[in-house]
Amino acid sequence: MKKIKFRADITAVTIVIFIVCIVLVSVMLMQFRTVEQTDITEIENMRETELRTALAEWKSKYEELSTQLSEVNERKEEYNQKINDNEATSELIDEELKESNMLVGKTDVYGEGVVVTLADNEERKIEAYDLIDLVNELRYAGAEAISINEVRVLTMSYIADMGDYSYITVNSRRIQGPYIVKAIGDKDYMYSILNLKGSGFVDRSKTLGMNVSSKTENRVEIPKYDEEFEIKYMQEVTAE
Amino acid sequence: MNKKQISITLGIMCFLLTIAICVQIRTTNLANSTVSQTLSDNELRDQVLKMKERYDNTYREIENAQKELEKIRLTATQNDKTAEAKEQELKENNMILGNTDVTGDGVEIVLEDAKASNTSLNLSAQLIHYSDIQLVVNELKNAGAEAIEVNGQRLVATSAITCEGNIIKINNERIGSPFTIRAIGSQELLYGGLSRIGSILDVIRDGGNTANITKVDDITIPKYSGVISYKYLKENK
Repeated sequence: MKKIKFRADITAVTIVIFIVCIVLVSVMLMQFRTVEQTDITEIENMRETELRTALAEWKSKYEELSTQLSEVNERKEEYNQKINDNEATSELIDEELKESNMLVGKTDVYGEGVVVTLADNEERKIEAYDLIDLVNELRYAGAEAISINEVRVLTMSYIADMGDYSYITVNSRRIQGPYIVKAIGDKDYMYSILNLKGSGFVDRSKTLGMNVSSKTENRVEIPKYDEEFEIKYMQEVTAE
Repeated sequence: MNKKQISITLGIMCFLLTIAICVQIRTTNLANSTVSQTLSDNELRDQVLKMKERYDNTYREIENAQKELEKIRLTATQNDKTAEAKEQELKENNMILGNTDVTGDGVEIVLEDAKASNTSLNLSAQLIHYSDIQLVVNELKNAGAEAIEVNGQRLVATSAITCEGNIIKINNERIGSPFTIRAIGSQELLYGGLSRIGSILDVIRDGGNTANITKVDDITIPKYSGVISYKYLKENK
């Protein structure tokens, strides 16, 4: 009898210990995961100048987001106020659609911006990659709309060398030099990024002997995307 | 089981746990020691973390607000027959813009820097450059990709692939090797376009780097983690 009781005690003790161990291990795992998730280690390792840039970046991202949040909230208000007025709500949705269509590239647009001209010379022929690189830098500098020789460049636009480098295609449209690349956005900022000594596209290209020039303009006009917008393969993820 | 066995088991467990805790403490210390721990650095770090937290919170708020807006829009336009088509177009626009998570069949490409052992080769050729990623992405667009992500970063109209020092950034976020590029579109066209002889993947392999492409069904590509907005654009009528 005594022996059996003693056994039962041991089992109880073992179970308790086991549970304590599991709890401890899960706490540790949680700790590891939190550390990974918050990127704290990355921020811990930054130096002062990096921290200052990071702070400025997060601040501007946060401010942008706040503006967007108040816009969404305002729109919600508007719908709520006009919820019983069919005509008014229809106007609201038209307005939203108009703005969204402009962002997608379904309309002609204008605004301040920069114009970059590239032309072939004996030293250097313009290739597709030059244009890809330039478009990439304009995007980096915050361009809101871009065109090359009046062909609108969107997120999924491609630029490729064709016919043994005799011409370039943008969105399957053939173009030839001189290449006039237009971008709408903060004209002074875009211009300064392009002309940064040593790293800006215009400055780098000039060093390579390329025939390239850039200027700011108060009114740059960019045409709409002139092909079909077709979604065939992707679907919205709706499951919540 | 007797007392001795229990003690031994207990002893071993305690030992393991202590080691684990020590490792953890040492890792944290190591991370700290690489930084000059001045007071201003710590303050700055706090500020960065706080700002990031505020950003994350606002991001969550905006997600909820957008969902609510969609619901309100639906109820408000119940009686409007033309509204349905407009809502559909808005939805499609948001998919194109990168405002929603999307799913579909496509391909996955993994690019990885060459192993350090191939020291005889040209060092620069053994690394994946930002231009390699640009070219792969351009090829995917050429093959009709509808949505693309690189290491979790959705490509949108303002996405730039840049290089600062030896850090590659997309959407201003650091990314590192291996680079996983996912694209939704026609699997045949995407796979065919990228795996032909002499393609950009072949060029990347020539340096000793790894470049693999596989067809993957039901890829989910996340939405853009930033805000798509405009300040300078005006419609030209």
